Amino acid sequence: MLLHLLVIAPFIAAVLMVATSKEDPKSSSRLAILFGIAFVVMSVMLIAAGNQATNPIEWFRIPGTKGPVYYYLYSHGLGAWMVFLSCALSLVAIITARNTTCKNFRNFVIGIFSLMGAMNGTFLAADAVLFFFFFEAMVIPAAVLIAGFGGKDRTKAAMTFAIYTLVGSAPMMVALWYLLTISDNSLLLSLAVALQSLPEGTQTAILVSFLLAFLVKTPIFPFHGWQAITYAEAPAPLSAILTGAMSKAGVFGFIAWILPIFPLSMSVVNAMMWLGLVTAVYGALMALRANDGKKLLAFSSMSHLGLAVAGVFSLSEAMLPAVLVLLVAHGISAGAQFFLMGIAERMAGTRELDKLGGLASKNPVFSTLFGAAGIMSLAVPGTAGFIGEFTVLLSLWDMGPFPALVMGFSMILSAAYMLRFIQKVIFGKQAREYEEGTRTSGLEGAAIGVMTILLLVFGFHPAFITNSLHLFDEQAVEQMADVNKAEGEETATETMEMDEDETPIQAMSAEELAQLDSTLAANGFSEEERKSLIAQISGVESQLAASDSVDVIQAAADSAVMLADSAKTNVEALNKEASND
Amino acid sequence: MTNLPLWLIPLFPLIATILLGTIAVTSSPSKKGPAEGIIGALAVMFPAVSFAVVVVLAYSMPEAGIRETLCNWIDIPMFKADIGFLFDGLSRIMLLFVTGIGTLITLYSVGYMHGDRGFARFFAYINLFLFSMIVLVLSDSLLLTFLGWEGVGLCSYLLIGFWNHDINNCKAANKAFIVNRVGDIGFILGMLCLVTIGGAGILNYDALNQFIQMIVSGNHVDIVVPALSVAGVLFFIGCTGKSAQIPLLTWLPDAMAGPTPVSALIHAATMVTSGVYLLARLGSMFVLLPVVLDIITVVGMLTAFWAAMAGLFQNDIKKVLAYSTISQLGYMFMAAGVCAFDASIFHVFTHAFFKAALFLGAGAVIHALAGEQDMRKMGGMIKKTPVTACVMIFAFLAIIGFPGFAGFWSKDLILEKLYVSGPMGPYFYGVGLLTAVITAIYMGRLIILTFFGEYRGSKESEEHIHEAPAAMLLPMGVLAFGAVFSGYLWADSMGITFFSDTLAPVVGSAQAYNALNHIHGHVNPMVFAGLGTLAAVLGMFIAYKIYGKARVPAAKGSSAPQGFKATWTFFFDSVHKYCGIIPVSVLAWICDVVVDKILQAIQWTLGAIATILGDGAASFQVRKVRLQVAFSIAGVAALVIVVLLTGGIV
Repeated sequence: MLLHLLVIAPFIAAVLMVATSKEDPKSSSRLAILFGIAFVVMSVMLIAAGNQATNPIEWFRIPGTKGPVYYYLYSHGLGAWMVFLSCALSLVAIITARNTTCKNFRNFVIGIFSLMGAMNGTFLAADAVLFFFFFEAMVIPAAVLIAGFGGKDRTKAAMTFAIYTLVGSAPMMVALWYLLTISDNSLLLSLAVALQSLPEGTQTAILVSFLLAFLVKTPIFPFHGWQAITYAEAPAPLSAILTGAMSKAGVFGFIAWILPIFPLSMSVVNAMMWLGLVTAVYGALMALRANDGKKLLAFSSMSHLGLAVAGVFSLSEAMLPAVLVLLVAHGISAGAQFFLMGIAERMAGTRELDKLGGLASKNPVFSTLFGAAGIMSLAVPGTAGFIGEFTVLLSLWDMGPFPALVMGFSMILSAAYMLRFIQKVIFGKQAREYEEGTRTSGLEGAAIGVMTILLLVFGFHPAFITNSLHLFDEQAVEQMADVNKAEGEETATETMEMDEDETPIQAMSAEELAQLDSTLAANGFSEEERKSLIAQISGVESQLAASDSVDVIQAAADSAVMLADSAKTNVEALNKEASND
Repeated sequence: MTNLPLWLIPLFPLIATILLGTIAVTSSPSKKGPAEGIIGALAVMFPAVSFAVVVVLAYSMPEAGIRETLCNWIDIPMFKADIGFLFDGLSRIMLLFVTGIGTLITLYSVGYMHGDRGFARFFAYINLFLFSMIVLVLSDSLLLTFLGWEGVGLCSYLLIGFWNHDINNCKAANKAFIVNRVGDIGFILGMLCLVTIGGAGILNYDALNQFIQMIVSGNHVDIVVPALSVAGVLFFIGCTGKSAQIPLLTWLPDAMAGPTPVSALIHAATMVTSGVYLLARLGSMFVLLPVVLDIITVVGMLTAFWAAMAGLFQNDIKKVLAYSTISQLGYMFMAAGVCAFDASIFHVFTHAFFKAALFLGAGAVIHALAGEQDMRKMGGMIKKTPVTACVMIFAFLAIIGFPGFAGFWSKDLILEKLYVSGPMGPYFYGVGLLTAVITAIYMGRLIILTFFGEYRGSKESEEHIHEAPAAMLLPMGVLAFGAVFSGYLWADSMGITFFSDTLAPVVGSAQAYNALNHIHGHVNPMVFAGLGTLAAVLGMFIAYKIYGKARVPAAKGSSAPQGFKATWTFFFDSVHKYCGIIPVSVLAWICDVVVDKILQAIQWTLGAIATILGDGAASFQVRKVRLQVAFSIAGVAALVIVVLLTGGIV
């Protein structure tokens, strides 16, 4: 229910907003803030509720494919936290936009809610087609909002953004369709199975087209052409959502779709890690030279997300919690910084760094927040950013000292550009007399203050984030198992699919089996469950000829760890079937 | 044995930070600040309570120390860390003077910062600093120490740039943070290196010591030494950043842009010594790494000499003291480099007193002269501010190692340990002694230019010269007392070894291990004492000869620190510029102007091609109906074929 609400209710809220007054931002903002708070509460409940899934509803069939497309939502720790980011940032965006975007505030909120619905859908979709649908749907409200509420170059920015990202994911659409023609349905496991049957060249082509979509969305060097202009020209509250939540869709895609589906070879993993690192350094260097406050923040975001992607492809054991903490920390701190930059722009009438300055004496509360948010984005220990960057660095150190050194270099650079940014905006003397814009309102200040406090809380107690990955809600798992059983006629194919699902693990040595056993144990599997799973794997192993490379095993083991919960569902289902027989 | 929990110590400054921070933020938009009396009382009270807790715990501490694990911090598959505290001989000494001197300097600041609009904000920062510093020395693991480590760096940044309306102060603050960041990355990588060797648990000091013991007893030293050496060098890079050693020393002279109490507390007594603390804390690891130790000794020696030379040429009174701090830190590193960790900590301890006294005295002088820092505009101050002059002169005698004063005992000890450290020992000793002579010269110059001769400032400013208020004089008096007598805690020639006894449980085994492997010569300690005294007296004599009668050239321009444009720092600023800043700028320029433009060009070219193709296609469609139909048929056929090939419509 929660899942449906989080995905569908934002669209309903957007429609309801139509009923409010167009001219009076005050009246419409009250309703909008109420809705926003409701969504934040729901997203917190979603995190607290742990893993859960909805009943798959058959949606439609794509011509040429075997199975139907489901409307099937599924929440795990990663997705739930991304949903939290999207809801929380949307709420703060609504609060700050009331003062920034006075003209036609209602339509702005409508756009924000539609964007939020699409983002939530992206992070919760269990079906590849559904995921892709929302992944593309995000672009539309965002582009419309940029075109409607942006700065001087808004039309160009909106066009660049829409075309670049849509073109970027076009190959993925084709690749996905091709995969669907050979797989049973569009769920994750059947896609992975279907991919195994393809020749290597085709696999690579599909992988590249998937990667491209996420590389563009994140964005990763050299596909970042849309980013700076979009973030700079978009209204600041929207930029905050774009960088804090929407850009996470790219990293999310790598973790939730690329890693489980594709058997990645070591060269691809290395290439992706280095792309991430290059992006980190490149973004930091560009930020050093940027003279537009929002562009600087855009490049800073790019740098941090580069680190996240590098972390993802370090594929270490600590990767998932590390990257998740980094993403949440970056979402909150970068979001807060964009909001604050928006306020600075409103107060000073410009976002050029050379024309800013001296805000510390003019508006001390704002400057305190500004400085705090800036310093917290530097990964100072005690803030969430430190936990994220330190653990990602730990993962990279696993890959060798050189990647870790590069990341260290980018961390030094981040201090350099961020301190310069803080100094130029709030310190020194005023560059000129500013025309009085609206000052920071109490609600705005409080909202951003809460964000900085959240960063501190997560910095001292990251278990709020990392534990959500261990969470096991027995009920939800059983419910999912029931769903799989209730599918009746499909059970036969499902079983087969499940058998095949384990095929990547077939070539495991005893040692690796033991390793898998221990990881499963670490993920909360009971004794019998592990035994049955291991037995299952070794049974399959004897049946099928093993020809997969070591990398396949590697990737499969990773995906097994990551999707341990879904694996658990399978085990449950198998157990039930066994007892039925 | 009392039952006071350890977390009380950092708790009080933390409460003060939150209280004062809230007051500062909420009162900031109004014209008038909050009442200074209440703010000052709050700001001094909390560190004082903290000091009291430390004293109680210090009396009742069992020899093995007190250990306390508060809660879990990070818990992910490859890495687990707890928040825990360790109160042993080493942290006891550090905590006593951190909280003690911290309280005194806070009290002094109440007088010094009187009338400043950011009064509450200042004390919020100071308390945050004390919190971080306490966490740094009290933590039981490297990771938590790192929290304090970056925390003090952050506070240093905030306080250097405290008067942020002047952009030069901000630049100095940025420089301090960024240079420290370089060191901090070394620290982080060092931790990762250790984690690779021994798992996440090894970051705990007790676990690390056990691990080292296991290696030593199992004779596996040779196997782990290469990896440990890498970790050791990385940690040492961290220390050079925080403690302003070569090559990361340039930030400290610029850091003098902050208010003087800050320079006394952070940039002289406590924060900059945390590098020495870390070396002592990891002593058991460093004794296994002779190569790293040699690096530390040489770097310390060069820094001590170099900074002393630079100190000779400064005209800003605070900059002289800054270079002097760097130079004294060099002594401490030399001592740590020859495994005399207790001697280095002893020097940290005595140095905290006399250098804080010197800075506070300099602060009182600057206060009396309404902000004037240039020594060329001072002179004859002893008549107007006798108490300050006395404090400064006592501290001066301590720093040059005049017999009986604190610096004499600690510096002498270091020089003695240097001499007996090995074949290179006499050379190290020689440089150390030479540096001591130079120290006496530049400090003598400072005292003579400031307090003796004729007043060289303008007439109207002379009338305003006044002695500092009691809130400032009291801490100075206490520190001067410490500068005279703190040395008697470890007076070898008088048979007092109290200080080394308290440290023995922590660093004793490491030093014993080192003593086993190095042959010690034995020289009569009185010889060292005599030579040390001679150096001090000689230096004073030279200073008197040169500066006592000489005409002081008139001041040209300001000597205020100017961020990257600092006065001559013996070319290390240039090294940073040409090896760090310029390459990065060039790289950034290439990224911005070359790479990004090329990428954009490609992007827009593709866009333009698409547009042109689209236009072309559009013209097809409008005009040539037959062609259009043909294309449609071909397209439908292609679609049908594709659909059939891929399995048809279900």
